[in-house]
Amino acid sequence: MFFHRTARRASVVLGLLFLVPVLGADTPDFDTMLREVDQLGQFGDRDFSGVYTIVSQVPGQDDSVTQARLFRRDRSDQFVLIILQPQIQRGQGYLQTGDTVYFYDPESRRFERTTLRDSIQGTDAQNRDLVRGNLSQDYRVTDWELGRLGSFDTYILDLEATGTGVDYDRIRLWVRTDRPVVLREENYSVSGRLLRTLLFPRYANVGGQAVPTQILIVDGINDGERTQITLRDPSVAPIPDGVFTRDYLERVSR
Amino acid sequence: MGTLLRTALRNLSRQKRRTVLLSGAIAFGVMVVTVINGFAGSFLENVTENFGQLLAGHIFIEGVERDEDRGEIQIIRDDEALLAAIERSGVNARFLTRRSDVRGTLVFGGRTASQQIVGADWSVESALTERIVLEEGSFDGVRNGNGLIVGRPTANLLRLEVGDPVLVRLRTINGQQNVGEFRISGISFDPGFVAGLTAYADRSYINELLQIDAQEYRQLGLLLSTLTEIDESADRIFEEMAATLDVFERSPEDADTNPISALFDQARTEEWEGVRYRLYTLNEIVSDAQQIVVVLNQVSVVVLVVLLGITMIGITNTFRMVMFERIREIGTMRALGMQKAQVLALFLAEALMLAVLGVLAGLLAAAALMAVLSQFYIGLDTPIFVLLKDGYFTFRVRPGQSLLHMTLVVLFTVSAAWFPARRASELPPVEALRSTN
Repeated sequence: MFFHRTARRASVVLGLLFLVPVLGADTPDFDTMLREVDQLGQFGDRDFSGVYTIVSQVPGQDDSVTQARLFRRDRSDQFVLIILQPQIQRGQGYLQTGDTVYFYDPESRRFERTTLRDSIQGTDAQNRDLVRGNLSQDYRVTDWELGRLGSFDTYILDLEATGTGVDYDRIRLWVRTDRPVVLREENYSVSGRLLRTLLFPRYANVGGQAVPTQILIVDGINDGERTQITLRDPSVAPIPDGVFTRDYLERVSR
Repeated sequence: MGTLLRTALRNLSRQKRRTVLLSGAIAFGVMVVTVINGFAGSFLENVTENFGQLLAGHIFIEGVERDEDRGEIQIIRDDEALLAAIERSGVNARFLTRRSDVRGTLVFGGRTASQQIVGADWSVESALTERIVLEEGSFDGVRNGNGLIVGRPTANLLRLEVGDPVLVRLRTINGQQNVGEFRISGISFDPGFVAGLTAYADRSYINELLQIDAQEYRQLGLLLSTLTEIDESADRIFEEMAATLDVFERSPEDADTNPISALFDQARTEEWEGVRYRLYTLNEIVSDAQQIVVVLNQVSVVVLVVLLGITMIGITNTFRMVMFERIREIGTMRALGMQKAQVLALFLAEALMLAVLGVLAGLLAAAALMAVLSQFYIGLDTPIFVLLKDGYFTFRVRPGQSLLHMTLVVLFTVSAAWFPARRASELPPVEALRSTN
């Protein structure tokens, strides 16, 4: 009897000893981590431009290819996105000045208010995917665990929206443990359904910042639907002020 | 005058067969245009009424909030002030409907279809169950829970059957992405342009997906007793609303096209705080249908002119024949002192009597035809259901339009007889009497 009691106590002690490293491990500062993730694609005082190609695959349909040129000025929350392809939509564009986002259609020659949530030409890609995120303000971490993705150790973070101003109520994020680079992201609906999975297999160093040059988006609802975004000609060269205006959108669409 | 008309009538009765054929031709034309006239008269009324049932109202009120990040949000959170304004206006609605609708993408078996999904309170909207004709399934599922009624085209496109689970991608009222898990409870007959694009569900589930409270909704509909009240009632309600609530201008000056588009454009271009209400009517929605009535009116006149044109040739030839047949009679009358003008008047009176007989017969035939047509139950499961009233053809002959047609008939007939009659009156009595005809 005594032996059994001693053995049980010993096993409890041993168990606790094994738990100590886990309980004692510092919980990472996720607020800082999210801020760093936000900062990663943030160009601060420098401008950013590049050409994005979006290839959308829908089973049973031909692939659709959209090409757009993006001009970003993060310090004043401005961006201009001009559609280059397909030909029929050439000249359409988006302009963000401050909190307002406009969509310009050269056919009607009208600007209409829109939001960053709008999908780009009906694909799974959204305007928000191409401009800097604001995870640290829009979300809070509700849970986390350690995991591995490919050859990288990752923090797997469960994020919940702090308000209703964001597209996805919940996000699951895979962030490398050695540096704040996002490798995978899952977006969930308000009802908790997986809507899309984003994979970031490639990053490039652009002006000292890690910018994803390839994003794969897998639709969680429509089986087989995929979207691939690739970035080419990234640059941090200064962009003239006149680019971030309505006039510019009207002029280039002619 | 009386003698003239009696003589004209007697002359017509002398050639009964010919008179019946000529007035029959006129009657046929009158019948056709009267039926078209009657159909056009009830067309707009029936279209408006049917749309009223499907859209659950004759007058619609929506609340719109503007948010920099979320854009335009259509919602009525608290309708107390709104209902008070309606009460002050003195307008008595047959009933009020509170609907929540959302545009969503139905996903099933790798296929997708975009639909407007209307969330209705089925305990109030009993009329809707009579208006939607189900080919399969029942309304039980949508009355409570996550049932969905889709139109036949959507069911075919997605290869859906009753009982199938279907996902619907949509956005909450704040623009967040959401997914609804519905089950097909019914497949409705596709009567054409409206139902094919609309699916129906329970409002409480739609509210849940939109992330709005159970008592909130997106559109208030007022169903009135008669269609003639729509414009006046809307004016009165709008006046009361404008006195206490923030409202969109109903007929903006730049409304160069559709009044509804102009109204909705204001929400995209103007700035305001809180909630601003917009009011529009079914008459404004179906304003394009007015054009169809105008076209129908024009068609009826063209049909009448063509038919009368053909009949005129017959009348002219017949009267020339009549003149030759009665040439000695004309000579005798002229010899006995009858003036040229009296001969002319006699022939024209005969033509007039012919026209009147044709018109009367045509009206009677049209009335009979319309009575027969309106007895047939065409049903609601037909592409032309929107033109019918409860599945029946209805006709409303507009007196003004009818009067125009009758005037045309008389003018054409008398004109057709004018030249032979004039020639008859111009005949010298001696030559007429010498004639061997």
